[in-house]
Amino acid sequence: MAEMIRAEALTKYYGRRRGLAGLDLDVRPGEVYGFLGPNGSGKTTTIRILLDLIRPSGGRILLLGEEPRRGGPALRRRVGYLPGDFAVGGGQTARQLLMHLGWLRGGVAEARIEELAARLDLDLDTRIGSLSKGNRQKIAVIQTFMHDPELLVMDEPTSGLDPIIQQRFLELVAEARAAGQTVFMSSHVLSEVQQSADRVGILRDGRMIAVEAVETLRRRAVRRVEIHFDAAVDPGVLADVPGVTEVTAQGAVLRCRLAGRADALIKALARHGVESVSVEEPDLQELFFAYYGPGEEEAPDAA
Amino acid sequence: MLRSVFGKTLWDQRRGLLAWAVGIGAVGVLYAAFYPSFNNPDMQEAIKAYPKGLLEAMGMTDIGTAAGYLGSTSFGLLGPALIIVMAAALGGGAIAGDEDSGRLDLTLAHPVSRWSLALQRFGALVVAMLLVSIVLGVALIAVSGPAQLGDIGPANLLATSVHLAALGTFFGALAFGAGAATGSRGPVYGLVAVVAVVGYFGNNLGQRITGLGWLHEVSPFRLYANGAPLSHGLQPFDLAVLAAAAIVLVVLGTLAFDRRDLAV
Repeated sequence: MAEMIRAEALTKYYGRRRGLAGLDLDVRPGEVYGFLGPNGSGKTTTIRILLDLIRPSGGRILLLGEEPRRGGPALRRRVGYLPGDFAVGGGQTARQLLMHLGWLRGGVAEARIEELAARLDLDLDTRIGSLSKGNRQKIAVIQTFMHDPELLVMDEPTSGLDPIIQQRFLELVAEARAAGQTVFMSSHVLSEVQQSADRVGILRDGRMIAVEAVETLRRRAVRRVEIHFDAAVDPGVLADVPGVTEVTAQGAVLRCRLAGRADALIKALARHGVESVSVEEPDLQELFFAYYGPGEEEAPDAA
Repeated sequence: MLRSVFGKTLWDQRRGLLAWAVGIGAVGVLYAAFYPSFNNPDMQEAIKAYPKGLLEAMGMTDIGTAAGYLGSTSFGLLGPALIIVMAAALGGGAIAGDEDSGRLDLTLAHPVSRWSLALQRFGALVVAMLLVSIVLGVALIAVSGPAQLGDIGPANLLATSVHLAALGTFFGALAFGAGAATGSRGPVYGLVAVVAVVGYFGNNLGQRITGLGWLHEVSPFRLYANGAPLSHGLQPFDLAVLAAAAIVLVVLGTLAFDRRDLAV
């Protein structure tokens, strides 16, 4: 089988409102794919088409090589889905809900549910109605992973999770990847997926505007560099170094921004006595904004 | 209970169903308890003093016998009214309500087809209707001695309960089908209310009004009550027609449900 998910010129109209405007997408087996875009760009629409909750207006979509509509329940058995809005009845416990959802898939071992709950630090026997949003989101995560599906489709999976649990979630993603499972997850912030994703696709106004390997983004990213010299230096020493911009000096400390390879910078520094060099991890969010311009995250949610 | 959509639906509704059963049973028993005080010549005279048209409209033409009394009270007005309200709530909630609250997404993202989900949810509704109706029937059997309902007999009380369940199932199917087809609950309740009121008065009065006889013929209340199950037991043909109508409504609703987008 070729792609786990493949979309060609996929369109979706809600009445006259446009949800997707010719989306092309391919997700390869075994990769973690970050599906990025501001609110209202069509992420949820795409994901709901994959699960056959809504039907496309035009174009083609294949999930594990099959059309979602035609594949029906047998196809969904092989997929885990984390909805963007995890709405469930409050009168049941997480254990009751998860066992029920497991049964809909032919049964999931209770021990597996307990293991995941322990890792995410969730009490399975509290009524869901009295759980916080973050704890409910843990239930959503568990039901996506518990049956070890070939493909995990997650819509903003980390929303509401605190940083520690987000980290545990990313561990689960990494394990799934190591086990050969494919992960497709959406987010409106790159920082949430840059750590675990192999590739990211950037969606805007219902169209894919860029698909990049995270490695490439990282290479292209701008890093902040801070150099402590033995003695005060003239910022002019970095004047003609390729990739270096915004050089400022403050006594023996020089700060600059570096795009691309560090080679020329290091060679330029080698002529001086250097106390220390610190390079900040690249902020891929900045690259993301290079496509969008900041502020578009406030765009109205068209789901 | 948690192994299927059918079981889970009933399990989720268990407290509500208990409340409905107790409520409808209690109302039925309270009405029945008044029969001994009704069953005397003075009261019968007082009733006859009401305009005949009004009594007909309210289905109270034969209030002097136990079957007539029960058929115009517990099983005539309040029983059907309550079970129709319950049926509308359950039928409208089964698909449209779950969809409104966003919960349907998760279930249907699982290996459950829309047809399977719809039929299991409707199956749960039928069970709920039978359960509540039979609780009412059993409660009436339990009090039939002190309430002087002896000439009806337990078999006919239970038969009438089944008729009540069938009436509820029909209205449940109407709410279910409309909700499944449209995905929104609000209009469903209006539709059920209109069909119930028109059907009720159409059955009682349709024959008297030129040009409205057909209303009497198609009224679900005719199929429910006019075979007089309290006196004559189960009316299989009437039940079959109600059931067939319910099936048509569910199938039409589910056909539309299977084709459309789920609301966000």
